Amino acid sequence: MNLRALILATGLTFMASAVTAGPLAINLSASANNPVMPQMGDRLSYHTVIRNDGTGSIDGLIVWISLVEVDPGKEQPVDLEDWSAHKAVVARALAAGDKLETDWPIRLIQAGTYRVVISAATRSGTALATSPFADFTVRRKPVVESVRVLPVALGVPIMLLLALLGVWRKSYKSTI
Amino acid sequence: MNRTVLLARKEAGELMLSLRGLTWLLAVAVALSVFGLLLVSNTELSLLDNAQVVYDMASIVTALGALLALVIGIDTVAGERERGSLVPLLLTPVSRDSILFGKLGGVAIAWIVIYALSLPYLWAVGSTGQNLIEGMVITAVLGSPVVLGFGFLGVALGCWHSSTRGALLTGLVALILSASPLLLGPSLRQSAVGRLFDALNPFSAAVNAYDAVMIDSQPYGLQNSHFLVAVIWLILTVWLARSGFRRVSRTGAAI
Amino acid sequence: MLISIEGLKVSINHTPILHDVHLSLDKGEICGLLGPNGAGKSTTISAVLGLRAAEAGRIEMFDQQFPDAVSEIEVRQKTGVLPEQGGFYDWMDAIRYLAFFASLYGREIHRKEIQDRLQRVGLDPSNERPIHTFSRGMKQRLGLARALLANPKLVILDEPTNGLDPRGRRDIHDIFLGLAAEGVGILLCTHLLDDVERLCSRVGIIVDGRTVAEGPVDELLRNSGKTNRFRLRLTSPPSASQQSGMGLDASIISHDGEWWIVSIDPGASPDSVWRELFFRGWKITDIQQESGGIEDMYLSLTDRSPT
Repeated sequence: MNLRALILATGLTFMASAVTAGPLAINLSASANNPVMPQMGDRLSYHTVIRNDGTGSIDGLIVWISLVEVDPGKEQPVDLEDWSAHKAVVARALAAGDKLETDWPIRLIQAGTYRVVISAATRSGTALATSPFADFTVRRKPVVESVRVLPVALGVPIMLLLALLGVWRKSYKSTI
Repeated sequence: MNRTVLLARKEAGELMLSLRGLTWLLAVAVALSVFGLLLVSNTELSLLDNAQVVYDMASIVTALGALLALVIGIDTVAGERERGSLVPLLLTPVSRDSILFGKLGGVAIAWIVIYALSLPYLWAVGSTGQNLIEGMVITAVLGSPVVLGFGFLGVALGCWHSSTRGALLTGLVALILSASPLLLGPSLRQSAVGRLFDALNPFSAAVNAYDAVMIDSQPYGLQNSHFLVAVIWLILTVWLARSGFRRVSRTGAAI
Repeated sequence: MLISIEGLKVSINHTPILHDVHLSLDKGEICGLLGPNGAGKSTTISAVLGLRAAEAGRIEMFDQQFPDAVSEIEVRQKTGVLPEQGGFYDWMDAIRYLAFFASLYGREIHRKEIQDRLQRVGLDPSNERPIHTFSRGMKQRLGLARALLANPKLVILDEPTNGLDPRGRRDIHDIFLGLAAEGVGILLCTHLLDDVERLCSRVGIIVDGRTVAEGPVDELLRNSGKTNRFRLRLTSPPSASQQSGMGLDASIISHDGEWWIVSIDPGASPDSVWRELFFRGWKITDIQQESGGIEDMYLSLTDRSPT
């Protein structure tokens, strides 16, 4: 399992070659700063270059990130609500030969194996352009440590209870 | 010693040295402990991002702080009036504003105590320290005007209502209404009315700022609009408390 | 004058409560404020203390127009008040409580002085119990100590002997008499006519928001024509010489067997008459009041159909 995780890597998948569909070519590369074996709470970053390889200008370009979980039996799309605040980029026009670059920062919320892909569409286009996939695995990490919570959850009320008993005892003693 | 400070110290003493006040603090601590234990015991909840947990705890602290401040604010006027201890205070050669600001100072001290009580809880759930310090800071900076505003609203309600019970009922309805963003789903908050409510609601201002700083890691400087809403709320409630207290002390409503 | 009220008119929630109240109190006087329940006594006191605004009339405090020439703060600095329904900070002990209020009056007060003041009103100065453990009488005494903290020139008391036993009442009376002797003016709102008879040199009676009688006690009794009548039981009838030329402020009305009816002039002290009769050899075994005095005057002035 660990070996598989290493092989699948977490940010060491450099896909240099772009995928083209129509005039748009999108590539996807992982940041060199991505942790080798990321766990919940870590941050990853991917870099995308979108190129207009066609002869004419592309109008109304929208590029977005998608994330799916690929664990066997748990395949499902991921709601990016907490994973990333940067979910899409738009360009009014992309001239022929021009390119658009952007980074996709992701915070790793949940453990599992994931696949990230960048998609692009244009106003007049009929086909979807996608980048190559990039897979990564997130290790589980307990978020809330009981060794810290239990003493506080018990200690603070006990402290206040002792203070309460002290005040009650003082007033009770003075009545007898 | 300045009489306002003297009165604020008396109010603080009532919170920390009386059975009634210590019981209230104990109730707040138990609520925070239950929430903290819930997080530890539930493995599903442990999937939450650490920043989300700190955000949730900060929101609970703000809600409980607002509740206790409201109760203390109401008790400091309506409760004192019912216990008969307001009249002797009004008969001293202390200006009305000094008495009022002493009581408001008491509410502020109560919030300081609650905030101090909450710090161990925030530390306990913020295990990786990710945005923990930022969370503590934004809770203090934005939570304070929101919580104090509810305390001062309590003072105002205590002045305007003839009974503690009536004031408490009105205050709780106002608090639940304001805290409803915690209960409403995102879709309801996206409607036109929901967005307007979110923009004007001090509680929303606080939790939206917590979300932005703790979860989205936004800088403090970007929270100015939320801070403005909270400060306007605070100023409004001070004005309400002041005009209410003038009524109590001028029209014999204290008797 | 410490207090001078003329034509006072006060409404509460647009309901007229006081229509025409006048009252005056000078240094060294003890004035009893009497009236049936709901007559407006507490409202009068509230207006004097600035807790209620007056619609009409004139109030002077310490010889100055109130609240124009003398502020509420100045009045309260010189006035001690014991309200009827006074509450306390139950979590405090008596010493801490008085120290707190002394600070509000701008006085730095030492523990020893607080203990002396507690002792003066009959409370144990070494008691460190929280106030919520105090009996009603103890709280009343503490309230009195609070009212006297700033050495006031004017003291206003609403039912001050509530909850006190007879010995306690007598002790408190002695305090009031001592204060009056020092020149402090005392306005005493009470239902206990015994207290009024023993303490007050002036009386104000309010009925339905109007003053129906106000002034020195002996003058009011004289004007009301209400003499004090007593029934005395004698073991043997007084001799002619014992009866005649009494030279007292008293006269024999009639007798029936061993019971003799005696009338005492308004303003005369029954105690001094009894002393004189005993001195003359009257063998008195029982004394009962038949009518007259402040009680008679009060009842006749407040006599009205129940509403």
